[in-house]
Amino acid sequence: MKIRIKTFATIREACGFEEKELIVSEGISVKEVVQQLKKSYRQLNDLDGALLFAINEEYCHDDAALSDDDTLAIFPPVSGG
Amino acid sequence: MKTIILQQEAIDIVHVIREAGTDSDGAVVSFIGRVRNNSNGKTVLHLEYEVYSQMARIEIQKVVDDAYARWSLSTCVVVHRYGRIGIGEASIVIAASAPHRKEAFQAVQYIIDTVKERVPIWKREFYSNGSSWIHGKD
Repeated sequence: MKIRIKTFATIREACGFEEKELIVSEGISVKEVVQQLKKSYRQLNDLDGALLFAINEEYCHDDAALSDDDTLAIFPPVSGG
Repeated sequence: MKTIILQQEAIDIVHVIREAGTDSDGAVVSFIGRVRNNSNGKTVLHLEYEVYSQMARIEIQKVVDDAYARWSLSTCVVVHRYGRIGIGEASIVIAASAPHRKEAFQAVQYIIDTVKERVPIWKREFYSNGSSWIHGKD
């Protein structure tokens, strides 16, 4: 199945892309996607523990399962206001 | 009336405050978040805010909906800027109205605190010798 990854702030800089499509196996979890990304984008390993996730603009935990055509956003703790 | 705006251009603070309030309200409370020229002992030249627009709108809407559920608000306007923002400029303006001041004060305090906790917007400070992302609220 196909998912879209969006990255922001330090995560965007570590990955070097803002948005990307990935072909992944059915029912893959957020954690598994991040593990895959870490192999290609090693700087992500330095940001471990400070990652937040959202599927289709809704916060989720890293054990959440993804569905076809989902958008997974990965970003650091927020600092707006 | 609930109004949520994300914008790059400078915020017209007077306009935002005028938007809030109905004839049955006795109070309009506003909060203006401004860009400081210093942070942790460093001189800040300007800020840049990055935003996940679609989700930020949804999250601000949730915060405002929560505030409406807890306090008797009549109107609420939240405007947050993104992109480059200069020293002394407003990064966020919140204005809420209610029949009585206590509710409006509590609601605005709740809204700014919660926006800082969960709305996907990130601040980057620029100094004369570089820049750094700020993670987490301050």
